[in-house]
Amino acid sequence: MKEFAVFWGCTIQTRFPFLEKSTRIVLDEFNLPYKDIDGFTCCPEKSLVNNVDHASFVVTAARNVALVDELDYDLVSPCTGCVSNLATVKGELCSNPKEKAEVNELLKGVGREFKGTAKLQHLVPFFHDTVGVFAIKQKIKKDFAGMRIALHYGCHMIRPSHALRNDDPIAPVKFDNLIAALGAVSVQFPTKMMCCGQGLDRVDQHDLALQLARVKLKELKALEVDALVLCCPSCFLQFDNNQYLMEKEGEKLGVPVIYFTELLGLALGHTPEELGITAHRVDCAPFLKKWAECSGQAAASTMDDELNAQGAL
Amino acid sequence: MLELNLNMKLLEMCSKCGACYSICPSCTHLPGYDPRQVVADIVQGKFEKWLSSSSIWQCLECHYCLEMCYQHYGFENAMTALRTIATKRGLNPPQVKRGWDMFAKTGKLGEPALPARKKFGLPEPSKSGGEELKKVLDALKDRRGKGHH
Repeated sequence: MKEFAVFWGCTIQTRFPFLEKSTRIVLDEFNLPYKDIDGFTCCPEKSLVNNVDHASFVVTAARNVALVDELDYDLVSPCTGCVSNLATVKGELCSNPKEKAEVNELLKGVGREFKGTAKLQHLVPFFHDTVGVFAIKQKIKKDFAGMRIALHYGCHMIRPSHALRNDDPIAPVKFDNLIAALGAVSVQFPTKMMCCGQGLDRVDQHDLALQLARVKLKELKALEVDALVLCCPSCFLQFDNNQYLMEKEGEKLGVPVIYFTELLGLALGHTPEELGITAHRVDCAPFLKKWAECSGQAAASTMDDELNAQGAL
Repeated sequence: MLELNLNMKLLEMCSKCGACYSICPSCTHLPGYDPRQVVADIVQGKFEKWLSSSSIWQCLECHYCLEMCYQHYGFENAMTALRTIATKRGLNPPQVKRGWDMFAKTGKLGEPALPARKKFGLPEPSKSGGEELKKVLDALKDRRGKGHH
């Protein structure tokens, strides 16, 4: 497997260091050749930087990609936004040699060159495609049989598809496959592919951000799912923090929000404390309680005992 | 192409289409949000009134319109262009200015939370490329100053 740099992004390192922790735990568990490299900046955030100045958006992303190009590493990120933004710019520059030359002229001043050779992947499709469902299954210590998980892909894990090219942009399956590999049921529901709406919080429209969060959370409450699982710090902010804010105002929806790396970490035998699940705003105890009950009930297969038993002929 | 441009021919089609409406999260959940009207006004040169509207900031940039678009264009491009002009005129939401200032100053949107890193036993954060990025962005400014657009 090719070595890869992890692009942590601003949101995880600023607001949710425990998500970095659980990501490192699962990367270590699979002995993956990941690197921390110096020199990254904000990806940059599209809804902010691209809206203000497209050229700044392009050169900032191109410089970040140049860092991994130079080292001949690939790049993996546990943030959907970061990967989507970097890939969008990579796609724009690789299909436009004139613009690429303009950008490289600017980067030359600091000794960098954007080549666009590094593969840029989000952590979920990376685990699906590069680590593989089979390898994951082999390592599971305690699966999630009997658990009902609602998945939230996060728009930028899969779109824009021309830049990311990792799954179907309307009806993706890879995250679902991983949930199935962990033994849980990925519940299908009408708002599954709906955007979280966190973007509204970044443009001073907090009430509307809550309105969008409410649509999905109410549906999940009615469906009595055990958790909402996602892998994007922005979606996490929307469903964990904003759900907590609604709770404080007396609107309790009670949907535990679990990051993919935390779910995987639990299956590999790590504790909720180690993984930082206890640092969430919305209480995850009901999810963990249900999980304990499920594994208590699961009848152990007697297959191996039968096979190893004496008495053939 | 480093500077933003709109394709008016594609936008004209866009103003009459709406293939993305049933999947656009803002179209389906935010009353009054009607990008086709915004696009029609752009095509007719009457975009001014939208610059101060909160509506243009309600596009979530989920890229569904791009995926659904028969032209592979999407009205998101139009919203981005309006936001850029609105920001040039100081009509942006205050939070956008705060975010931009932070980005321009540090190259990031926040600094690693050190006490929490310690608590979780995380290594020292990698060095930021903020200073180097600043040089690149300054070079971009110079280039524009010399009339390259």
